[in-house]
Amino acid sequence: MSISFTHRHILEDRMGGYEPSPNANHLTVVRRPVIFSTLAHAGHEAAVAEALSLVEDVVVRSVSPSDWLVVSQSASAATISASLATIPGLSFAEQSDGQVLMALSGPDVRTILAKCVAVDLHADMFAEGQSAPMMICRVAGNLARTGADAFEIIVPRSHAAYVFDELRDAGREFAMTRGFGD
Amino acid sequence: MASLITCPHCGRRPKEEFSIRGDAVPERPAPAASEEAWHAYVYLRDNPRGNIREYWHHVAGCRRWLVVERDNLTHAVFAVTDAREAAKGGTA
Repeated sequence: MSISFTHRHILEDRMGGYEPSPNANHLTVVRRPVIFSTLAHAGHEAAVAEALSLVEDVVVRSVSPSDWLVVSQSASAATISASLATIPGLSFAEQSDGQVLMALSGPDVRTILAKCVAVDLHADMFAEGQSAPMMICRVAGNLARTGADAFEIIVPRSHAAYVFDELRDAGREFAMTRGFGD
Repeated sequence: MASLITCPHCGRRPKEEFSIRGDAVPERPAPAASEEAWHAYVYLRDNPRGNIREYWHHVAGCRRWLVVERDNLTHAVFAVTDAREAAKGGTA
């Protein structure tokens, strides 16, 4: 991981404003998540999915039947890389520098997200723990439900500022606050 | 977001997430096929009204190639198949 990218977060300049404490609706930008992009070789999809679910300290976000994002906020890239290397039929690459992880939570979060996402986020359609690739504010990203009123968004770094601004505007009517979470 | 395509992997998604490659009906001729066959494959297309079969790429989703059967007059979608499954099963 290169020092220059982790040293200063891409959204650092957008965190201004008078917001002494988080409101009920809050957007947390995770400062240094570890994100791996993984791809199962043809024929290994089921075995790889099973093996990925057993890796410790990570969450697995589904992208396609043979494609996942492995995300961690606690384990180091080296540890995860070592675990992934033991899985047969899997190719992976670290994407921590290239992706931005944001977490949204609060009672109005579904209404806020409905302005950015065309997918039905009712709990019957998009259950807790589910994740899917989709357009988020017209940017191809990954959305995951981490709780009844909690979601996580992963978007490419170069589009993160735009998505962040859109989410901020969408959350304005609910006084959504935002800040870094470490 | 009028047209909704039901991706076999991602579910119901707006057409903005996809990119359309074009007609899925022409079959690639053998490398040694005649010049006429290759010309027809590369350049000649019908422009039918009604039912069509097309390749769609789910660019902003699972990034898989899909075969979408739809009516280009009414926008009704009849079937969406993963292109790999469609290739395995002939005309899926």
